[in-house]
Amino acid sequence: MSEKKTPSQITAKLREECRRLLETGTVHTVIGFARGSLPDRTVPVFITNPKDVEHLTWNPFCAANLSKYLLDHRRPGGKAAIIVKGCDSRGIVRLLQDNQILRDQVHILGIPCRGQYDHRKIPGLVAGETGPPDPESAALVHPELLFEKCAYCENPTPVIYDLLLDDAVEPIAGSNGRFAEITALEEKTALEKSAYWDDHFNRCLRCYACRNACPACTCRECVFDQFDPDWVSKRNNLSENTAFHLIRAFHVAGRCVDCGECDRVCPVQIPLRLLNRKIIKDLDELFEAPTPGTDINVKPALGDFNSRDPDKFH
Amino acid sequence: MIMKRLLEFTGLEPERFQARWISGSEGAKFAATVQEITEQIKNLGPNTKMRDTDE
Repeated sequence: MSEKKTPSQITAKLREECRRLLETGTVHTVIGFARGSLPDRTVPVFITNPKDVEHLTWNPFCAANLSKYLLDHRRPGGKAAIIVKGCDSRGIVRLLQDNQILRDQVHILGIPCRGQYDHRKIPGLVAGETGPPDPESAALVHPELLFEKCAYCENPTPVIYDLLLDDAVEPIAGSNGRFAEITALEEKTALEKSAYWDDHFNRCLRCYACRNACPACTCRECVFDQFDPDWVSKRNNLSENTAFHLIRAFHVAGRCVDCGECDRVCPVQIPLRLLNRKIIKDLDELFEAPTPGTDINVKPALGDFNSRDPDKFH
Repeated sequence: MIMKRLLEFTGLEPERFQARWISGSEGAKFAATVQEITEQIKNLGPNTKMRDTDE
């Protein structure tokens, strides 16, 4: 087995490849990660000049799923290059299946990933003795600081790519407990579940960051942006927030690729992934549907017909 | 089925949201179903979830 590349080696390879892509005119834009204002943060970067590829970086703090940005960089006859992790690549499949982008408009640079650090978990550690994780270390020295989704990642290696920048990473074995959190909540009484979600939905600011980050939320006009929609309201109260979150979750049902962006970008830490994962769990139980976006040839469970439908139609 | 499970997941009592397939020619079945559901809802009492919009 070959040695795992360090983030610096991947970064170097990434810059070299992107310089080549831009210089040859293969792509008009590179969508990638650049260093942020702190060592444990990165920001999205959009590069059109080959001289600027030095801004590109790769380390275990590249949690953002950049796939949604492809919508802003669609050009007829031109290609945008994008850097994706395994989970992000499912977002690319989402956009392709939804006909939001064409395969020949995107050049996918895949990076096999062994987990991303959750910067929200870092501050406590900085204060402690061990110090923050080193972004340049090839080994994941702090598995406890990863995002929850990384613990049972199904696709560490991108499911779709034009070039893979490192050796493929195998999924972690024994990820059967991936729905443990959902099962625990399901077993509570209706009142307990209601109280749990009321507590979270009450905090919602209706900033719509969850929607904006989502590769499955691509309507040209969102009902929540309408001036005076008929069935929902823009009011920020518990009922309307609940309605918003149920509509959001159901609108992406069967299409949510479980990249966890909604959850990650939420400024008030509403556990939105629980709603999406509840649906993914049910689709798995009822339709034996894999996590959407895993296979580009598998249609979304709720967008397909099949005589083995589990509904009783009574 | 997915919607129903999602609503139950967020704390709605299962009886409050029901879906039935009834054709336009099945008037009796429609009436019986509505009566049945009405009865169930009355037993549950007023819904407390998502009621603060009109206040």
